[in-house]
Amino acid sequence: MTTAFDRMLTASRLRPGRFGAVVAGALVLAMTVAWAAGTQVYDPKTHQWISYDRTKAYKYWRQHKQVPEAFRPQVVRFRTAEKPGTIIIDGNQHFLYLVQPGQQAIRYGIGVGREGFGWAGIVRVGRMAEWPTWTPPAEMVERDPNARKWAGGQPGGPDNPLGARALYLYEGDQDTIYRIHGTPEPWTIGLDVSSGCIRMNNDDITDLHSRIQVGAKVIVLMQGAALYKGV
Amino acid sequence: MTKLQAICRAAFVAATGSTLLAAASCVSSPEPAQMARTTLQTAPADLQLLCANAVAAQTGVASEKVLPVSSSQVDAQSYRVELDAGGTRHSCVVDNEGKVGSVQ
Repeated sequence: MTTAFDRMLTASRLRPGRFGAVVAGALVLAMTVAWAAGTQVYDPKTHQWISYDRTKAYKYWRQHKQVPEAFRPQVVRFRTAEKPGTIIIDGNQHFLYLVQPGQQAIRYGIGVGREGFGWAGIVRVGRMAEWPTWTPPAEMVERDPNARKWAGGQPGGPDNPLGARALYLYEGDQDTIYRIHGTPEPWTIGLDVSSGCIRMNNDDITDLHSRIQVGAKVIVLMQGAALYKGV
Repeated sequence: MTKLQAICRAAFVAATGSTLLAAASCVSSPEPAQMARTTLQTAPADLQLLCANAVAAQTGVASEKVLPVSSSQVDAQSYRVELDAGGTRHSCVVDNEGKVGSVQ
């Protein structure tokens, strides 16, 4: 059965370039303040790459209610020997690829770990949850009064930091503490903002969750980051 | 300004404008899907993993233990990928079409 999301994916793949240029142009108009996150977006009017930071991303989101086109789901060419269903994360470029048959992949935009919190490795999806409970780590409970009230766990819901779905990443039978999850802050897609988890828009993580199985291989590429132990 | 000077000036301005317009139209923009990047210009993920497969095949190290750790563009046609294979570093060159040129 073709879902609305499938139709959106197809439309995204077939959308003419002019619409993207208009969207990107509007994005640049919304930009005012620099903040070093390393991400850049292209301004088709000036033919220049412009830095894209948290402030600009939030303004863009408020204006368009979606992320820039490059970070929206789309089917792309992906030459690989990995099996369909494998997840490949390019942390540097803020993309997550779900390998499909025929040398293709579905590409989603992601937010990744800020400086010092990135990592690379080969892991697997150990378990998955819908509208998961979030339990802040002990050190966060100590330093953050807002986290303290959720020391016993914040129930799932639209304000929960894990968003609509969570894929728990394991190495062997051991939880790595890293997750691929949704977010109540969708404008942060494309930025280095997390404590090491991979964040996606809630619609995207819900779609990814529906397409994969527990046990799926996950390859995390991130230049300059520490290798997760065991790799 | 004489009439002749005015005509010449208008012609000059028109010619300059046309040239600039032509030059601007020669600059190609990336596809909408490619209108985002980071300042760190790494090799595409699929090419990095093709190198990982080549290193695994050449060294006999299990593919689950081979991971690209850095990459850079060599020229317009190819990338160099550095890999960790079970604790040993290797280097690989792969072109834009996915053809692995060398593994060291």
